[in-house]
Amino acid sequence: MCLYALAVARYSPAVLARLSATGVSARLGLTAWLAAIASVLASLAIAFQDLVSAAASGWHLLAEAFCRSVTGHACAPPVYRSAIFEIPIAATALSAALAAAVLAWRYGRSVQRAQQLAHAHSAAALVTGRRLPAASGTVVLDAPQPAAYCVPGRPAAIVLTTGALALLDPDQLTAVIAHEKAHLSGSHHLLVALTCGLSAALPGVPLFTRAQAEVSRLTEMLADDAAARHSGRPALIAALLALGTGAPVPSRALAAAAGDVTARVQRLLQPAPPSPRARNRLALTSVTFLLAAAPGLLTWLTGPLAAHVVALPWW
Amino acid sequence: MRGFGELESVIMHMVWDYGGPVTVRELFDELSQERSIAYTTVMSTMDNLHRKGWLQRVKEGKAYRYTATASREEYSARLMREALAAGGDTETVLSHFVAQIGDPESDVLRSVVRRLPARRPE
Repeated sequence: MCLYALAVARYSPAVLARLSATGVSARLGLTAWLAAIASVLASLAIAFQDLVSAAASGWHLLAEAFCRSVTGHACAPPVYRSAIFEIPIAATALSAALAAAVLAWRYGRSVQRAQQLAHAHSAAALVTGRRLPAASGTVVLDAPQPAAYCVPGRPAAIVLTTGALALLDPDQLTAVIAHEKAHLSGSHHLLVALTCGLSAALPGVPLFTRAQAEVSRLTEMLADDAAARHSGRPALIAALLALGTGAPVPSRALAAAAGDVTARVQRLLQPAPPSPRARNRLALTSVTFLLAAAPGLLTWLTGPLAAHVVALPWW
Repeated sequence: MRGFGELESVIMHMVWDYGGPVTVRELFDELSQERSIAYTTVMSTMDNLHRKGWLQRVKEGKAYRYTATASREEYSARLMREALAAGGDTETVLSHFVAQIGDPESDVLRSVVRRLPARRPE
């Protein structure tokens, strides 16, 4: 189970990144990444539980064997059942639990701080900005820098600057708003916060580090899809180029352009032909099912095996 | 009242546009011309804004005179600094439409734009 978790954490990022690189199906790609994370966490939880139950059931035997190897003869039960053995193991268990609690608390606090920040920011933006009558919850701030973003909060806000408005024509503006609305209605910030929290709490795990970047990239593409459906690809691409470069772009003029924004633009410019797209979808779906089923399947397979190991004479 | 804090926003913009210190009565007179609203609603909203730190007030006779604690430009600039700060908590909270200018990638995109027909939207 531990081996499985390690293997998925180490090797799945390369496979998943290849499958979701083009963003042919952003939604399936996102699901596959989340399935990998859930799969690793679930198998780790199962492994931990196995370890604890094995330790609990086999502890006295282990202690007796250890006691015998130290003293050179069989110990009387009162010796290995004494505090000398029980205190260290209790301390180990306690410190492990404590470490987990500290990690969880730190994660919770950073999430809470981010939430407060979001609430304060959206509340201030909703008072300071001028309401855009065409779109509810959308405000315009007087600022020369071109910026467009959404703040999840209660209430949520979509913020545009006058600098951004100056670069966009009406169609491009509705594309930008549709993109931000898709983020808010899809609660994309929760997915981003989850992966950010995991990579911060457990640094150096390839899956979590990679998932953070990929989840944010794929949620952008999901929102792009929504915006393209709403206002058409040309308006969205022109808006991406205009706000990305700070220069106005006519919607009708398009061109092919290495990075995240470029990938987003290229994907909108040149949709993959149907057959590779179907193959990619099939591959992503199978990987997702495999990842989702693996922890349960492994428990079922290794259950009898583990029982044999525990029942071995030396143990 | 439409939406959360809509009245707060309307009143703040009126205070900013007014220029000098303003009383609840003066704002109410102006506001009641464009919408039906109770005097007490305006008063309690301004009280809220004062409590939240948006407005400061000085007592003059029986009424308060309100002024904004900071100009609209100062608030906008503060929000922009928060929104455009790289790293830190805001980055995970706010979701930008597209990466900011100055990104090495945007040089690539800028060259793409340069190769586009030189028509600008009207």
